[in-house]
Amino acid sequence: MTKHRLVAVLIGLFLGAGVGLFGAPPAERTLLLKNGHVLPIAGESFDGDILIVGTRIAKLGKDLTAGPGVEVIDLKGQWVMPGIIDSHSHIALEGGVNEMGELITAEVDVLDIINPEDLNIYYALTGGVTSIHTMHGSANPIGGRGVVLKLRWGGSAEDLIFKGAPLTSKWALGENPKQSNTIGLGKARYPKTRMGVEEAIRLEFERAKDYMTQWADYDRRAKAARKQKNAALPLPPKKDYRREAVADILRGKLWVRCHAYQAEEMASIMRLCKEYGVKLAAFEHGLEGYRVTNELVENKVAVTTFADFWAYKWEAYNTLPHAAALMAKRGVLVAINSDDAERMRHLFLDAAKTVRFGGLSELEALKTITLNPAVLMGIDKSTGTLEAGKDADIAVFNRHPLDPYTVCQMTIVDGKVLFDRAKYLEDRRKAEEAKKKAAETPAPKDKKG
Amino acid sequence: MAKKSFSAAAGLISLTILLASAGPLAAEEALHRVWAVKDCRLIVPGKPALDKATVVIRDGLVEAAGQNIAVPADAEVIDGAKLTLHPGLIDALGQSLLKLPEEKFDPAKFYSGEFTDKDRGITPELKAFDYVALGKATLEKYYKLGLLAAQVIPSKGVFTGQASFFSLSSEDKNKALVLKDNWLGLGYSPASFMVYPNSLMGVVALLRQEFADASHFGLSASRWSKELKGLSRPAYNSRHESLLDYAAGQKPVVFFCNNQHDILRSLDLAAELGLDALICDLGSEAFKVIPELKKAKARVLCTVAFKAPPSSLQSQLGKTEKEKAEKEVYPKNPVRLAEAGIPFAFSSLGTDDPKSFMEGVEKAVEAGLSRDKALEALTVTPAAFLGLDKALGTIEPGKIANLVLVEGDALAKEPKVKTVFADGLKFEFKDAKAKEGEKPTVNVSGRWELNMPEAGLKVTVDFTQEDSGLSGKMTTPFGAFDFTGGNVSGNEIYFEMNISVGGQDIDLYFSGTVTGDNMRGTAVQGTQGSTEFTGKRNPS
Repeated sequence: MTKHRLVAVLIGLFLGAGVGLFGAPPAERTLLLKNGHVLPIAGESFDGDILIVGTRIAKLGKDLTAGPGVEVIDLKGQWVMPGIIDSHSHIALEGGVNEMGELITAEVDVLDIINPEDLNIYYALTGGVTSIHTMHGSANPIGGRGVVLKLRWGGSAEDLIFKGAPLTSKWALGENPKQSNTIGLGKARYPKTRMGVEEAIRLEFERAKDYMTQWADYDRRAKAARKQKNAALPLPPKKDYRREAVADILRGKLWVRCHAYQAEEMASIMRLCKEYGVKLAAFEHGLEGYRVTNELVENKVAVTTFADFWAYKWEAYNTLPHAAALMAKRGVLVAINSDDAERMRHLFLDAAKTVRFGGLSELEALKTITLNPAVLMGIDKSTGTLEAGKDADIAVFNRHPLDPYTVCQMTIVDGKVLFDRAKYLEDRRKAEEAKKKAAETPAPKDKKG
Repeated sequence: MAKKSFSAAAGLISLTILLASAGPLAAEEALHRVWAVKDCRLIVPGKPALDKATVVIRDGLVEAAGQNIAVPADAEVIDGAKLTLHPGLIDALGQSLLKLPEEKFDPAKFYSGEFTDKDRGITPELKAFDYVALGKATLEKYYKLGLLAAQVIPSKGVFTGQASFFSLSSEDKNKALVLKDNWLGLGYSPASFMVYPNSLMGVVALLRQEFADASHFGLSASRWSKELKGLSRPAYNSRHESLLDYAAGQKPVVFFCNNQHDILRSLDLAAELGLDALICDLGSEAFKVIPELKKAKARVLCTVAFKAPPSSLQSQLGKTEKEKAEKEVYPKNPVRLAEAGIPFAFSSLGTDDPKSFMEGVEKAVEAGLSRDKALEALTVTPAAFLGLDKALGTIEPGKIANLVLVEGDALAKEPKVKTVFADGLKFEFKDAKAKEGEKPTVNVSGRWELNMPEAGLKVTVDFTQEDSGLSGKMTTPFGAFDFTGGNVSGNEIYFEMNISVGGQDIDLYFSGTVTGDNMRGTAVQGTQGSTEFTGKRNPS
């Protein structure tokens, strides 16, 4: 029953509010949020207002005034923070999140499989999430490309893409790529050791370098041929999308996001990336990251991890409840992620655990789900804090966002209110009533035309 | 045992032979015959209907069509009074004529890791033509619905195979063939798992790479053939050779789209790779991406199963919303395309047989699609998509004489097709229906022995009559079959059934007159022929 009610409401929301929101270029709409308890993350918290012009924050401060025609929302002292950023997610994709058929699948691209109608996008908004890094799974040492999305619910796949955010290359080390947990399900796939996983990556780098050389050589000969009259152009090398993608990693066009658990393989892969000049942005999960904090800081590699989720497989045992806090205190850029459509809706509670378990300050804890993921995703210039000039990505809570009893009340993306709990509950009530009414009145008989 | 199977086989053979030879016309006889359908209502999509029209058919083609047409002296005249003549319907893309060998996945492959291109869903060399079976009974089913041409395509995997297009005038597919290997199917569903590609993103990546490989193969081969010296000889690859014309955009590909996202993917890929692409809208979600379709000047093949794909919002919201959408939203897909002016043809993919295909078309009509538009999507538009607009789709001099003569309107619900011309060959349906409306004066309930001497066949029939309703079962040497319908009017009885013999489905219609414990009548098998029968009530 409850599910059906939700159904009607959500359809109403989608058809009523969603469709058409992103069809036309946004006009310079002005929205004033009044009387909030603002946690800007950048700078001191204050009681006051936020003025939004178009899709961006124009001004923060006390007693901001609205001109005529300006929409005003009175927050009545509720807590306001930057929209939450989930740096590790698999939502909004379709057709499978793992390409397991081959070891290296750098050519696959989640940009090809975005599903803008995944309901989990809307559910994420109900937990204050406004941006995510969505990617495929961890079946391959070098998998495919991942992408940063802004949760513009109601828009097309194209609308969801966070313009200007660097594309990523998803890697994986350890048990998953060496298929430790699928023994007996088929022919054993190379590699079966952690050494082999790293070697597979190195081998792919060398192949990509050869490929780049081939093309450079062709370009040189083609250029020479073009200068000569009547000279035939040389036969171009075969285009290989896999090599192209790995070449893009070597060229630094893709930021590497590497799934890893164990300290020694993290240390080892940092050396490999340094050797080839690859931009390693972050380790995913990184449960043993607290053992290699010096190396992480030295190589400027972030860790995006869980608050208290471990021991689900052998390589995920050796961690601590305060691992995230320990790393943060040692200067590692740390983000708390969900890796899950459900956990995604209460990332603020997971961030709070870094205070409880590891003694992080409230500000540092909030950074693990706002500014820190924004930095490691390369989008901190436009989101992650509440500052004039940044995107108006805002989450509103009825209590402090780290309070265990807090509930997200409103989520604003690019200045548009895409989730409003009060309105949602009201719509749900109306839908229930309408359904009840429909059940009471007998349906008119169909007339055949 | 041996004796029994022998008699069953004998019974089948004699029945089919008899019915066939007793038919109004065998196809060979009709060749080069001249026909004139007189005084019919002539319907051609996009044009006003013409009453009292005459259409002359000669040597397989339409010779003349319109009002005030003189009937040639050598023409056999068919009275078209009170009948409608419309162009033969075309199934733009389907599979019910395709008989691919049944495949069982060999689990040993998991352990050997020796997967084939077929396991990976890469079968561009697979040609529908090689696996098409045009049985008489099958053709019958098409004729009965006015369907006289069909394109057939394999649809499994990623590079699914190549299509062939048939005008359904002969059991001999070599004669029926119009276009061979004319379209290439591209699908988004991986063929199997544990082998690349086993995900949608892998499929998209593979599509890119294969077309690039094919183009490079073509380039290297043509370079080498011109310049034997100084270039290394490219290795031959039949797969890439099959893809060459499609990769160059010289032949159309058709993308099998499971939902709206697949449609957008296909439009993007077609633009990126320079493919001449058609969209096969398996998910009936083209209406959700109309601006994009318009911008790309897309041609759409509309399927008519109208199932909400799992990715749709309604499916995610649960069964109730899904079923509601399948009733109220999805059948409107063709209407919305028609309103937007996007060219579309109907495809039977996703339906089980020609009957459910035409029922699906009817659903679209009930959802608001005009019958004229529906007829267009079954005639001129598919003809245009196939590049056959000069040969098929309308009734004009010089075009292939694929015509349907039907009682009432074109595309009526449960059409009563009287006669069809396929490639100018005439196939006429015998009227088998019993009279209706009179109060029964007999009761046939009980067991009867029916004898069909011309077919050399004796069968047992158990009738159950309730007022004018008649049901029952016929027991034959090759199995027992329940009636699919029947009635009694006065002393006349009528019953029908679908029998399955030797892998063929045959519809049989019996009508007869009852006198006490005896009956006498005719058994009709569509356009294939008829035979007399006598019956006697079992004394026991």
